[in-house]
Amino acid sequence: MADDVRSIAVEGMARVEGEGSLHVSVRDGAVADVSLDIFEPPRFFEALLRGRHFTEAPDITARICGICPVAYQTSACTALEAACGVTVDSRIQALRRLLYCGEWIQSHALHIYLLHAPDFLGCADAVELAERDRAGVARGLAIKRTGNELMTVVGGRSIHPVNVRVGGFWQAPTREAVAALAGPLDQARQDALATVAWVAGFDFPDVESDYRFVALHTGDCYPVESGRVVSRGLLDATAEEFSYRVVEEHVARSTALHARIDGELTYLTGPLARYALNSRLLPEVARRAAAEAGLEEVCRNPFRSIVVRAVELVFACDEALRLVEGYEPPDPPAAACSAPDTGSVGAGASEAPRGLLLHRYELDGRGMITTARIVPPTSQNQRAIEEDLRRVVTSSLSLDDPELTLRCEQAVRNHDPCISCAAHFLDLTVEER
Amino acid sequence: MSTGPRIVIAGLGSEYRRDDGAGVAVARALADRLGPGSDIGPVGEPLDLLGRWDGAELAVLVDTVRSADPPGTIQVVELGTAAPTGPAPAAGSPRSSHGIGLVGVLRLARAIGTAPRRVVLVGIVGSEFGAGEGLSPAVRRAVTEAVDLVAGLPEIEAVRCA
Repeated sequence: MADDVRSIAVEGMARVEGEGSLHVSVRDGAVADVSLDIFEPPRFFEALLRGRHFTEAPDITARICGICPVAYQTSACTALEAACGVTVDSRIQALRRLLYCGEWIQSHALHIYLLHAPDFLGCADAVELAERDRAGVARGLAIKRTGNELMTVVGGRSIHPVNVRVGGFWQAPTREAVAALAGPLDQARQDALATVAWVAGFDFPDVESDYRFVALHTGDCYPVESGRVVSRGLLDATAEEFSYRVVEEHVARSTALHARIDGELTYLTGPLARYALNSRLLPEVARRAAAEAGLEEVCRNPFRSIVVRAVELVFACDEALRLVEGYEPPDPPAAACSAPDTGSVGAGASEAPRGLLLHRYELDGRGMITTARIVPPTSQNQRAIEEDLRRVVTSSLSLDDPELTLRCEQAVRNHDPCISCAAHFLDLTVEER
Repeated sequence: MSTGPRIVIAGLGSEYRRDDGAGVAVARALADRLGPGSDIGPVGEPLDLLGRWDGAELAVLVDTVRSADPPGTIQVVELGTAAPTGPAPAAGSPRSSHGIGLVGVLRLARAIGTAPRRVVLVGIVGSEFGAGEGLSPAVRRAVTEAVDLVAGLPEIEAVRCA
């Protein structure tokens, strides 16, 4: 029908410390426009960091996010250690990876059980899900609690850890405290395996996207706290080299920055990308769980990201357990770091639960930060999410407006951006003329 | 505090947003007064109550509230045993996509059967919520009153005397 317009306008989309909105416009049966607008608070942190001593960056940047503070701390530490010309020893690296596993466990359990699963089961929210599946939600909360415990033991507290510093840690946890995590982690691994089986049984829309995946890659283990930035046929770069390839641009309709490689190429980071580029490096227990869930080595269906996230949950529990069993307290707990008096530059990247997080700093001869650049996963994924929305709406035009709105929300939540509020925060208005 | 029925006292809020730190101040003062053996302290976010308060006889939650009442007014709300109404988990705050508000957490705990038997919310009406540390005079006075009020709850007195 000529001039048939469906307009989905979602105002006041919530995210951590920011606001966003979603607009979809359908004209004459085709998607005319899709925009996901996000107001990015991390830009303020970049300005805030200028003039601060480099040792302050991990604690300042941790405050950007209450869900993934370890990601911010780790990327800041690795960037600043690079600026100082320091390589931390294997014990510090292992402890850093252990802390990061705690964050993955906490964040993935939260997203899978409280934010994402209700979408697939027709529940309004996690409470309705809990009323239907009490044991299931209790299992998810128990997994999350184990992540919290791990972060408390290694990081000093479960939100915004206080034990991280450039070069390593302020204090190494005792062997006894770390060993006490083994039991809960073993249970969490069992629960994570049950999680994979649970989410694998959900119904998934038959949608595939031709993503350009970007993730860290180490060659010998699943990437978490370090690695080279890789994209098949396109990238194999250090964090510093990647910082020149990723170009962020301001988009007039919001304060959000959109990231593209070389200023042109849309790409995706996060669980789907990590898995696609590293699935062969998963431990046996996680690979077996993935295979039993029907995942191949690459998954391009964004709705099945919940399965990939569950497989990563198995990995994080298993990896944490391995690190706990092999724990040797680093002594000293941190490598000495001092900034060269000639000034210096350093970049670092790590895998936040929802995607690659890049930090880059320039220091003057006194170790003061003169330039800071932080490229968060949501900024990098924003264009890919918009492309997903366009694809999903195109294939779902037969749905009525409430169903189409839900499908759009789900398409956003597939990537666990900070804007993915679990319950129905979206209001739909339909205009036809 | 000696052993007895499990009691959890949690202070909610941020010490770095002026009067929003009242709950944390009350929790810290109570920890000093009641001594070891009690589960008293700040809680970073309501979601952290899950697990911590599971199966408790009493949970006392102290937080700053906005109200038409004068700053420093103490409001005590018994949350009762009926399922509370209010925003669903993760929809409680327009500023957070990942946080779950107190009502949402209580609903969730009741749905999975881990909620404390009794939940008492002690609210202190605040007036200044800008960045920075330090409570306004009225709220600072109310913190002292709230500490006495919570310490005088029958369950807590009974445990202290046991």
